[in-house]
Amino acid sequence: MNQIYYPELDETICRETLGNGLQVAVIPRKGFTKKLAYFVTDYGSIHTDFQLEGQTFRAPAGVAHYLEHKMFDMPGSRDVSEEFAALGASTNAFTSYDMTAYYFSCTDHFEACLRLLLEFVSTPYFTEESVEKERGIIDQEIGMNEDAPDSRVFENLVQSLYREHPVRVPILGTSTTIREITPEVLNRCHRAFYSPENMLLCVVGDVEPEDVCRIADEVLGSIPGPAGEKLRPWQEDMTAAEPEIAVSMEVAMPMFNLAFKCESLGKGEKAIRTEMVADLAAEALFGESSELYLRLYEQGLIDSSFGGGFETIDGCAMLLCSGDSQDPRAVREAILAQGRVLAEQGVPEETFQRMKRSALGRRIRSLDSFDATCFRVCAYHFSDFDYFRFPEVYRSITAGEIRDFLDRVIRPERCSLSVVYPLENEGGNES
Amino acid sequence: MIQTISLLPGVTLRCCRDKRFKQGCLSFQLVRPMCREEAAYNALLPAVLLRGTRQHPDLRAITEHLDTLYGASVSALVRRVGDYQTTGLYCSFMDDRFALPGERVMAPVVAFLEELLLDVPVKNGGFLPGFVESEKKNLISTIESERNDKRVYAMSRLLKILCREDSFGLPRLGEPQEVEAITPQSLWAHHQKILRTSAIEIFYVGSAGCETVADLLRPLLSRLERDYIPLPPQTDLRSSRGDEVERMDVAQGKLCMGFVTPITNRTPEFASMQVLNALFGAGMTSKLFVNVREKQSLCYAIGSAYYGAKGVMTVSAGIDFDKEEQTRREILRQLDACRDGQITPQELQAAQQAIVSSLRATHDSPGAVEGYYATAALSGLSLTVEDYEKSVLAVTVEDAVAVARQLELRATYFLRGGSQ
Repeated sequence: MNQIYYPELDETICRETLGNGLQVAVIPRKGFTKKLAYFVTDYGSIHTDFQLEGQTFRAPAGVAHYLEHKMFDMPGSRDVSEEFAALGASTNAFTSYDMTAYYFSCTDHFEACLRLLLEFVSTPYFTEESVEKERGIIDQEIGMNEDAPDSRVFENLVQSLYREHPVRVPILGTSTTIREITPEVLNRCHRAFYSPENMLLCVVGDVEPEDVCRIADEVLGSIPGPAGEKLRPWQEDMTAAEPEIAVSMEVAMPMFNLAFKCESLGKGEKAIRTEMVADLAAEALFGESSELYLRLYEQGLIDSSFGGGFETIDGCAMLLCSGDSQDPRAVREAILAQGRVLAEQGVPEETFQRMKRSALGRRIRSLDSFDATCFRVCAYHFSDFDYFRFPEVYRSITAGEIRDFLDRVIRPERCSLSVVYPLENEGGNES
Repeated sequence: MIQTISLLPGVTLRCCRDKRFKQGCLSFQLVRPMCREEAAYNALLPAVLLRGTRQHPDLRAITEHLDTLYGASVSALVRRVGDYQTTGLYCSFMDDRFALPGERVMAPVVAFLEELLLDVPVKNGGFLPGFVESEKKNLISTIESERNDKRVYAMSRLLKILCREDSFGLPRLGEPQEVEAITPQSLWAHHQKILRTSAIEIFYVGSAGCETVADLLRPLLSRLERDYIPLPPQTDLRSSRGDEVERMDVAQGKLCMGFVTPITNRTPEFASMQVLNALFGAGMTSKLFVNVREKQSLCYAIGSAYYGAKGVMTVSAGIDFDKEEQTRREILRQLDACRDGQITPQELQAAQQAIVSSLRATHDSPGAVEGYYATAALSGLSLTVEDYEKSVLAVTVEDAVAVARQLELRATYFLRGGSQ
């Protein structure tokens, strides 16, 4: 196995590609009790269009998430959750726009848990009856989401920012689209995106890396499976589709998401560097130590719910901030104006060095979290980057890059504002 | 594992030395009674303290200082622990070994904690009016925003019904009109009073030894003029009956049910009650999840929670409006199954294992260590994680049945659609 030690972080990562194409990453944590394993596919809600074995398919919206729910079914009425529970482990899964992850955490019986994880995620078993029954549960989840203002405000934002990109469609799909999901559809998507070479197995904990590879090889076999090819037909220019979108809901105070459309990142070190530049740019523009944050906070235009950063999804990226405000439009104007100021004056070197030190320290602290570490290693892996190299990337970033980024991105034509107003205050018409 | 030192009368330092972590965490909690007169004061105080000190006069100066300390963070800490409310600050910071040679992080963070607590800018015998007014506004909007999350909102409504005679029914952050009534002077007087008289719980987890932490805290503590007044011990719940239906413009209904039990953190059957809660309603193998969600597809989210400090168990479910009766019946049917002894060895074992795994993993996360030990003693739970684990594993089906039979449904709340 390829093993690299990062002395600055006191972390080690061991990597291997198995004969079946599966990539394995193990982060050994000597002396810890908890063990966490993520089995992840580079496939999420936006990947509805794909080619498989020469044919082109378009799956209904919400299929990746539906599939995630149904993966827990196994032949012979086996109950995966119960089997994990009997091992003292807990299991769960999540679907994002561009990734689906299945995971467990345990303290004992690691090998049995790992076998079970690999087995259930690689075993498609969908009956008409169980797929039908899941519709009621997912429909309730969609209902819950519709009542959640923070989900609504983001889903509206991406609909107003993008014209074509499938990030416009909620991860869960809609009550209508999920009706089109059948066992056949689920089988096809599983076949396209769950073969070992599309996947990553990432383990954090006091385990032997070689054991992880051996077990994965035994459970998954050594023959690569078919591979679906994602189609990305969408075209997006760098202007927002709509400048504003607003709805009213049961909320106490207007809640907003404000975003600036950014170029999609692609992969590799350059992409990660851009991402870290963008994060620092967000910090310089409206982070807690920025001049703007203090001013808006003291004016009462934002409160401690305000925050933001850089978001990347396959094929799109945005600089995003969110919070509660009595006047979201004033927040937008202030950010646009401050963006111009920073683009002209740049960020003072001393401020910039302090920001980098802070970002570095916070990332080092977050390594204490097994979940955050595992998630980041997976996400960066699919961008072809080794996450633990973040200190050297930070060191090489210059203040000029921050300034260039802000100059390019903080522009009115790239900007969309999504607001959820309280019901009694239909704020959409005020000037 | 946990070392406890009494630094002054009523001032306790608990330390968990652990060199595996990349950060240290330090919490400073003033322990108050949970009561209507104080809740809003205790909730507001740390937010005002975090607005500025004499040396770092505004938010930006504070953040810049913390940025220099490798992105250390200090945040407001307001907790409810049974009849008590704690107010204070929570610091987390990178371990010294990752700093550049010659630089330290923890010592300046502790010094900054002292500055935030004691070097407060004062005007006319009160906090700066600008800080107080804007944090009052923020706190009120936080309280009002509770209704944004319908699950949280529904649960707080249920607790207000079930616990209207008890401190547990008081909202943790106070009511908006109580926040409104606070003045810079009254808040300052409160700050002075609670620093002088409250029990103070300080918890540290990280690579430093307990003596080192105590030494770093001495300058802070030496500035306190103490006149310690101990709090009365935790009490059992005084529960009330009630059923309420509220209408709101929502797509999904929220059903909440409140049960009471004489079993608390302080009774020997505590572990049995935890196990019963786990097998009845917590997690993906519980009776509620398996039967109400998976078998009947009545909901996406369903679960139970047990508050050991008070002896309350709640159930909440997100459902279609017309499924209320059916869901309610099914929940009670599952509880009856527990009372009738319809608990398989697998269910029992899964519940025990789930609790034990989470206990064993406690020591793997600095936040979890702090969360457990900084509240356990206050709530009357005298077990270490290890002893707790042993008592969970000793629970039998009969024990679980016995505690299930002591649960009594006292209140329900249903949030449904349609105009009010």
